[in-house]
Amino acid sequence: MINVARLRRAARRETIGVDVGAALNLVAAIVKYASLALLVPTAVAIGYGEPPWPFVLTGAVGVTGGWTLERATRGKEHVGAREGFLVVSLSWLLVGALGALPYLLSGEEQLTRPVDAFFESMSGFTTTGASVVTDVPELSRSLLMWRQFSQWLGGMGIIVLALAVLPRLRVGGRQLFESEAPGPEVGFTERVRDTARRLWILYVALTLLLIGVLLLLRGAGAERSMGVYDAVAHAFATLPIGGFSTRERGVAEFGPATHWTLALFMFLAGVNFALLFVALVRRRVAPLLRDQEFRLYVALLAVASLVLAAILASTDVHEGEAAVRHGVFQAVSIMTTTGFASADFAAWGALAAVALVGLMFLGGSAGSTAGSIKVVRHLLIGRMLRRELDQTVHPEVVYPVRLNGRMIDERTLRAVIVFVLLYIGLFAVGALAITVDSALAGADVSPFEAVAASAATLGNVGPSFGSAGPMGSYADFSPFSKLVMIALMWLGRLEIIPIAVLFTKNYWRA
Amino acid sequence: MKILIIGAGQVGTTIVEALHETHDVTVLDVDAGRLTAIANRYDVTTRTGNGASRRTLQETGVRSVDLLICCTSRDEVNIIAAILSKKIAPETKTIVRTTNVEYLEAWHERQLDVDFIVSSELETAHAVSRIIGVPAARQTDVFADGQVQIVEFDIDPVSAENGRGSPLAAALKAGHGAEARRGDVIGRPLRDARIPRNSKVASIIRGHQMIVPRGDATIQVGDRIIVIGSPESAREWSELLAPDTRRVDDVVIYGCGRIGTAVARVLLEQNIRVRMIESSRERALEVAEELPKARIYNSTGIDPDFLERERIGAARAAIFAMRDDAKNHYAATLAKLYGVNFTIAIVHDAVSIGVFERAGIDVAINPREVTAEEIVRHAHDPRTRQVAMLEGDRYEILDVVVRDRSKLVNRPFRDLPMTGSLIGAIVRNGRAVIPHGDDMLQPGDRVIIFTEARRAAEVEAAL
Repeated sequence: MINVARLRRAARRETIGVDVGAALNLVAAIVKYASLALLVPTAVAIGYGEPPWPFVLTGAVGVTGGWTLERATRGKEHVGAREGFLVVSLSWLLVGALGALPYLLSGEEQLTRPVDAFFESMSGFTTTGASVVTDVPELSRSLLMWRQFSQWLGGMGIIVLALAVLPRLRVGGRQLFESEAPGPEVGFTERVRDTARRLWILYVALTLLLIGVLLLLRGAGAERSMGVYDAVAHAFATLPIGGFSTRERGVAEFGPATHWTLALFMFLAGVNFALLFVALVRRRVAPLLRDQEFRLYVALLAVASLVLAAILASTDVHEGEAAVRHGVFQAVSIMTTTGFASADFAAWGALAAVALVGLMFLGGSAGSTAGSIKVVRHLLIGRMLRRELDQTVHPEVVYPVRLNGRMIDERTLRAVIVFVLLYIGLFAVGALAITVDSALAGADVSPFEAVAASAATLGNVGPSFGSAGPMGSYADFSPFSKLVMIALMWLGRLEIIPIAVLFTKNYWRA
Repeated sequence: MKILIIGAGQVGTTIVEALHETHDVTVLDVDAGRLTAIANRYDVTTRTGNGASRRTLQETGVRSVDLLICCTSRDEVNIIAAILSKKIAPETKTIVRTTNVEYLEAWHERQLDVDFIVSSELETAHAVSRIIGVPAARQTDVFADGQVQIVEFDIDPVSAENGRGSPLAAALKAGHGAEARRGDVIGRPLRDARIPRNSKVASIIRGHQMIVPRGDATIQVGDRIIVIGSPESAREWSELLAPDTRRVDDVVIYGCGRIGTAVARVLLEQNIRVRMIESSRERALEVAEELPKARIYNSTGIDPDFLERERIGAARAAIFAMRDDAKNHYAATLAKLYGVNFTIAIVHDAVSIGVFERAGIDVAINPREVTAEEIVRHAHDPRTRQVAMLEGDRYEILDVVVRDRSKLVNRPFRDLPMTGSLIGAIVRNGRAVIPHGDDMLQPGDRVIIFTEARRAAEVEAAL
């Protein structure tokens, strides 16, 4: 975390090139508005006759804290391109911290330690879906709904929401948008505000649609164990590609019809939202179907589903329809980094485990709510590889790397390489840190589980293997490991670079 | 006919040379020196001034002129001059030279109020493609931006030497070839013949007789046939009729300038493999983006290591379209040394043609000359829609856009009443279709019609 006082001191010695005051001012405004989100669990608490005061109190803390900080930094409303990185990084951290307060204040026994509460909150906002709660149904309904709702908010992005709502972001919003939006170079030519609004409309519409479909399934008798509360709660975790559930055994408690429905919506949520908007709202499907990333996304999902189904059928874990269903569901869930589990995939054996960990590195499409590396980066890396091989034999050949027929400039390509390198590097460092720390702390975590946990948190997937499997929780990890994972989730959600630049000297220099 | 020519450069001079004897020609240019040179050689009126200026046009008397030819080296000047003169004198026909294919497209979509547009790049590209695209052809004409070709073939006895073929045919002699396929089309009724897809036999010329063929007609050895179809089908015909001529399927183009790019585009459309060499890295990248199917090298093209490594010598033909004639000359000679059989040079200076020929380069094409020829062809007959004449003037090929109110619209082809003429191709939404009995004409279609000359007016009126 950035220590403001120390920065001030630094500023006195050397002129500092980042307007920290302005950045804090905007962060404060964002936190202030984000506090309004607590109205949702408050209403749920009142509705179910549960004590609403943890949420009310948190909301009050957020609003007054935000307001105070905003007052303290008044007169510095201009946020430039440079401050954007700081704003995005800090907002997510602070909103995550604020979101942890209800867990602490509720007095819930499983979340009394601040690290655990922070972990749960960050896992929610970053749409990871990793949980330290071992006994989910023990949590009150309002607290569970807050968990789900935090994923829903985090999915589309706090900044995108702010862009759509806050009038003061009319200028300079693009930088913020691009720092938060998943995937490389979105290249919007339209007004960012319009784009942000449109994305939110689609997001809300799809969420409502999923709730409707789930309720229909219940009405038609295809799903007996899902109520209105569960339908809303799971829609809140599906569209943002989150993965939290309100049930003890998660999604596995539901029937085949629900599994297929959720798989479809996870698939949709992993598609580029701009293209999805054109396809669903403008009814022009061609741009989506012609999109090379979408095609690869579908192809990868198909192959992954087939492989998993084949593994399941051949190892007799599941049979017939169940093998196909669990294969498809888990392929979609893990590749899009949702983390729902239609069955306990941690018990599927080594082959399936390796396949699933591999899938964690794929991710959904750019411009979706999915995490991880994302399909388009894999696509571009593949094409760059082909170019390298070609140019090794034919050094003079000019070989532009294209995406959908358009040439991708070298800067973007470099950024893709750097991102993937950073991603793999962070994954390795995270895996090492968790392994070593678990060994030192005497936690019951095998090296494979530590590695998988690093991949699952950095990729914002959620459940991993071993005790942290889909039916277990991350409670067994040491507090330090949890902090590492919180950092990984934060870095993974913001795609590393906006946070990484904060640690460079030249970012702060004038 | 009174003709006003704006632009006294190479194109303008060539046009003046062709037209000055039979027509009353005035030349307008900003450069008085060039005008003096022209006035010394030809008996024409000269005026100094800017063709894109309304006042100059009026003063030059554009109102009394029958034909305005805008052929300066600047596209925008040409277009503005033509559009202005259309406003001042709506009766005057206008011909515009452009180097930009985009203007050509705009004109096809009737967004430019100009009677005829000639693109130097495209004309040159088509000239090249005529030479290497259909090696067995006696004559080739290209329509609808190269999407439709009309090709004349001589049906020679197989054993005969291809003496009458193009120089390329001789260069590409390939020993043995399959002869069986000729039997698929020769000597059997057309309805049974296995004619290449997307093509039609438009006419069979036997002695002095010319037949618009029906299904029962046969092609015989000794005939001359006229085929209309896609570039690909024209190549298939060529292979069919002259199986001992290898097709050109691998071409190297030196220089990614506008001409080189236009040539590449036309050849790529015919599924010919194109490799391009460009010394400027920036330009190479630009073209690589524009032409995804071409393979572009960033090289001078005269580096022996490069030529050896990339097996440039294995190409069937090389086209030299760099800006500098001397460079083209050197590179072409070097390419010959490395084994390229057939070389075509794009020439910028008229003098160079002789040099290239002496140096053993097979064909030299001067884009300005090609452009001027095309313009002159239209200037001779201001009925600009008529695009080609065959066999003297008995048959014409028309390129017409179908009007909304035409009676022929939305009726299947087999029900259309026209006789003695044949709709060879339809260009719809920029794509060429070779129509069959079930197809229908739609308003806005561009049709390529093969018709008897005396019925041309009737056909135009019907459409």
